[in-house]
Amino acid sequence: MAPKQQIRKEEWERRLHDVQVSKTDLNRLVMDYLVIEGFKTAAEEFSKEAGLASPVDLESIESRMNIREALQRGDVGEAITRVNDLNPEILDTNPSLYFCLQQQKLIEFIRQGRISEALEFAQEELAPRGEENPEFLAELEKTMALLAFESSPSAPPSISDLLSPAQRMRTASAVNAAILESLSQGKEAKLVALLKLLCWGESMLDERAEFPKLDISEGTFK
Amino acid sequence: MSARRSRSTSISVPASSSTARLENVISMPFLASPGLVGSPRPRMTNATRPSLTVSSGPTTTARRNVATSPVRSISGSYSYSNAASRSPVHSTSPPVFEPRIIRAGPSPARPVDPACFPSVTSPPTAPTRRQSTTRLNSGITPVYHAPMRTVEGSAPTTAPAVTHTQTEVFPRPTYLDHSALRDLLQTDAPISSVDARSAEARAPVTWSTSAYPISVPAVSHYPYLRRVQTPVTESEDEGSSPPPSTAPIAPNPVLMANPVLRLPTRWSEQDRHPPLSVSPDGRELTFIGPSCIGEKDSAAARANHPIPPACGIYYYEVEILHKGSKGHISLGFSSPDVRLSRLPGWEKQSWGYHADDGWSFPGHKDGSPYGPTFDTGDIIGCGVDFSQHRAFYTKNGTFLGMVFENVGKGHELYPAVGLRHTSESIRVNFGHAPFKYAIEDHVHSQQNCVWADIQSTKINWDLLQGINKYEEPSDSRESPKTSGIEDDSVKAPLRKLVLSYLAHHGYAKTAHAFQAQCERSRVPVASTSAKVEQDMDTDDNTTIGPDQELRTRVDIVNAVLRGDVDTALVQTRLHFPTVLEREQGLMLFKLRCRKFVELSVEASEALKRAKQLQPQPTQEVAERGPELHSRVSAGEDVNMDGMDGEGAMDVDDPSHEAHSDSSMNSSSVSTSTLSATEDRSETASRPRQASRSPSARPTSPHAAAARQALHTALAFGQTLEADYKHDGRPEIRAHLKRTFGVVAYTDPLAAGGEVAEMAGQEARVRLGNELNQAILESQGKPVHPALEMLYRQSAACITQLGLLNVGSAAFADMPKEFLEG
Repeated sequence: MAPKQQIRKEEWERRLHDVQVSKTDLNRLVMDYLVIEGFKTAAEEFSKEAGLASPVDLESIESRMNIREALQRGDVGEAITRVNDLNPEILDTNPSLYFCLQQQKLIEFIRQGRISEALEFAQEELAPRGEENPEFLAELEKTMALLAFESSPSAPPSISDLLSPAQRMRTASAVNAAILESLSQGKEAKLVALLKLLCWGESMLDERAEFPKLDISEGTFK
Repeated sequence: MSARRSRSTSISVPASSSTARLENVISMPFLASPGLVGSPRPRMTNATRPSLTVSSGPTTTARRNVATSPVRSISGSYSYSNAASRSPVHSTSPPVFEPRIIRAGPSPARPVDPACFPSVTSPPTAPTRRQSTTRLNSGITPVYHAPMRTVEGSAPTTAPAVTHTQTEVFPRPTYLDHSALRDLLQTDAPISSVDARSAEARAPVTWSTSAYPISVPAVSHYPYLRRVQTPVTESEDEGSSPPPSTAPIAPNPVLMANPVLRLPTRWSEQDRHPPLSVSPDGRELTFIGPSCIGEKDSAAARANHPIPPACGIYYYEVEILHKGSKGHISLGFSSPDVRLSRLPGWEKQSWGYHADDGWSFPGHKDGSPYGPTFDTGDIIGCGVDFSQHRAFYTKNGTFLGMVFENVGKGHELYPAVGLRHTSESIRVNFGHAPFKYAIEDHVHSQQNCVWADIQSTKINWDLLQGINKYEEPSDSRESPKTSGIEDDSVKAPLRKLVLSYLAHHGYAKTAHAFQAQCERSRVPVASTSAKVEQDMDTDDNTTIGPDQELRTRVDIVNAVLRGDVDTALVQTRLHFPTVLEREQGLMLFKLRCRKFVELSVEASEALKRAKQLQPQPTQEVAERGPELHSRVSAGEDVNMDGMDGEGAMDVDDPSHEAHSDSSMNSSSVSTSTLSATEDRSETASRPRQASRSPSARPTSPHAAAARQALHTALAFGQTLEADYKHDGRPEIRAHLKRTFGVVAYTDPLAAGGEVAEMAGQEARVRLGNELNQAILESQGKPVHPALEMLYRQSAACITQLGLLNVGSAAFADMPKEFLEG
């Protein structure tokens, strides 16, 4: 590898200066973030203050958030109902998402110690799907293994993880993403993608050159 | 707002000379982002622009040399060394390599050319330029569909037409529009066509098409790396920046921020083995003379420029015109160091696909079966993917698969072709014509792959806080599974980022709603976010300080936005007194200038009202209105009237007609004309006024109001001039001049161009932003919100990576990913 190139501060400032981005561009990024992350009132205010149209119906933000919250507190039934209220096609056209929700429901039964209900639900609702699709079956088996370990600390992480908040979060994100997709929105805020890009870009560049690094929390340079 | 967008594009361009304005127009496509109005400052120093038009000169001209056009006779007078070396010697010229200068992308030799060439280059380029100028000026978005290509397709490119210009000029191939560094990539086409087309898509991330290194005026103009000490003057600095005519400062290689990356456009006249003859248009290669005997002997040629890895993917096609008896044709790529007496693929640092057996050769004699053989009439595509450093070929539009490794790693790479036998002949398409293969789709899918790869990067907050800083407790780095926003260690800082952005620009209500919702949805958070929420709390309840400051700042900016400069001044003086004092009162000066503009506009509006609302006695008023105005606009008249003691509003003086014409030129309103020391306050002049034209007076109170408004404006203007007449700072002078120019127009808002820019809402927005930044700075806050810096830093990294030949960077197309849709 060639020695690192030194990029002078002046040169870098020039580059920063040359970047074409306007306040409206940035406002849109912020709006995208507010919408996707579900900040409904903020999105409303921002739409007025910045004179920017919201890319989606703001009401949809609220129902999406309600669904997410329902999933995060473990109320899968409520979430399914609400998703279908919002747009029945979301679950109809997405079997793996529907399975994911059913699996979450099973997990919640087990978490609550409602073992017989869990078994019944698994046999009636999930087992037939597991036959259709080997991936579903594997997930089902993994979930059923929870019963065997039953809060034993010896359970392997991949199984005990199903009971962690992260699992709820994953399900909630998957549903959230599907709803956003049905609204033709990205599943993740563009700002997050931007952060990833910067991480990639800075580390790639760091291998090749010395350049001023940004402290993103302050917006200043090191 | 939207109605104004087109106008806003030219706003930040207060250049005073017509040349400068032309260049600005050319650069408009890149300014075309609709939000520029609100951007904190103009994005470019225009003084550097002219370069790009000129840049196409040398090469084009050199081309024309080869052609048998009348231009040729002039060529001898060039002082351009390359032109000489490119003289049309075909068979006799030894296989010398082109001078290195030609290849070096950022060619430092270019800047000297403009002066030498205008006579030759301007005829062909000027009309195109002018055309695009007017089109853009009129605010119509130019819709191009590969302009040059259409021309080529429709025009009879066959026999006789070609004689005119034998070098085919073509714009950047459209598949390269996918590259994040597209604006650096250029063919020899007149720049305007390329630019106009990219305007169709969207303003790209980087403005960069400067043909030669931009001399960085002064570091302080880009206050990104500093925090407090830098003055916020950049949005007005065009006035003081050197005019375009200024000779370019000796290029400093380190500051060559954005070089032009030349794309191959033809086979090189020099970089070829003697038996190969290049057609006048540079596209055909024919083996002339006795066939090569033995493997040692072959004949290869390379293109005139290396392939910039910033292309991401580069692709060209070759038509086999004549396969000859054996078909020992090799198509591919090679470094400039490979001997031209060898077929591409046989030597190290060269790669080739051979016609006779369909084998591929990765830089040594041991090739391997790769694709079908190819024959006369076949079209073979050669592609190189710099994100993988691999090559691929196509035959008659069909993809043949990826091949080779480490292609073009660590050295320059040229399109290269090798022939061995008499009468073998090929014709290249470097983008002259549409490609057989759907290369755009190919590029697009590779772009998606690379982007997905980039997006699998885990967000490393420590990295984002500066690589050397590891102060955060390690618990913020847990949860390795999720890299997305579900990760709380990202969530909280991201919220802070958004909140500080909202606060920066004074979106107070949004900020409050956002904060409130963050509070409600309080989730278990890592330490970083706890800190953030604490910050939020402070903002909200604990101390009223920061919140109050935000509100005051918003109020002040809003006052500027609605034209209430007095309130803005008073409030600023009260709460942020240092803002007005900094830089010897520059901000105060600008605010006062704005007040004068507001008064002038007010006066012109009052006049309009007078005309509209008084249709009865209008005969008179309507006639007097414009007279009066043009009168006033002729500053000298006003002044002389003042001296005569006749009153500024004397509409009966016939001399005004003589002056009104010249008054249309803003610069003719010499600032000195308004510097009358005599205090012509409105109370003083009005009675005189009334007595002089009693007939108009009682019937048109609106006209009276108009006169009064105008007089107030002028009186203020005189004070302004008096106060600053000893301030010799160029930016003060320029700004003052432009400010006074506004009064020369009957209806500044409708005047269009520079005047409307000075008078309109955009100017308020700009000033408001400037004031906002100045206040923030005075409070020790960053001039640019962190969010903006996030974007800028990312884009700068991508550009730099592209220039360092990291092919993947070309596929990180930020405008596409973040700004569209």
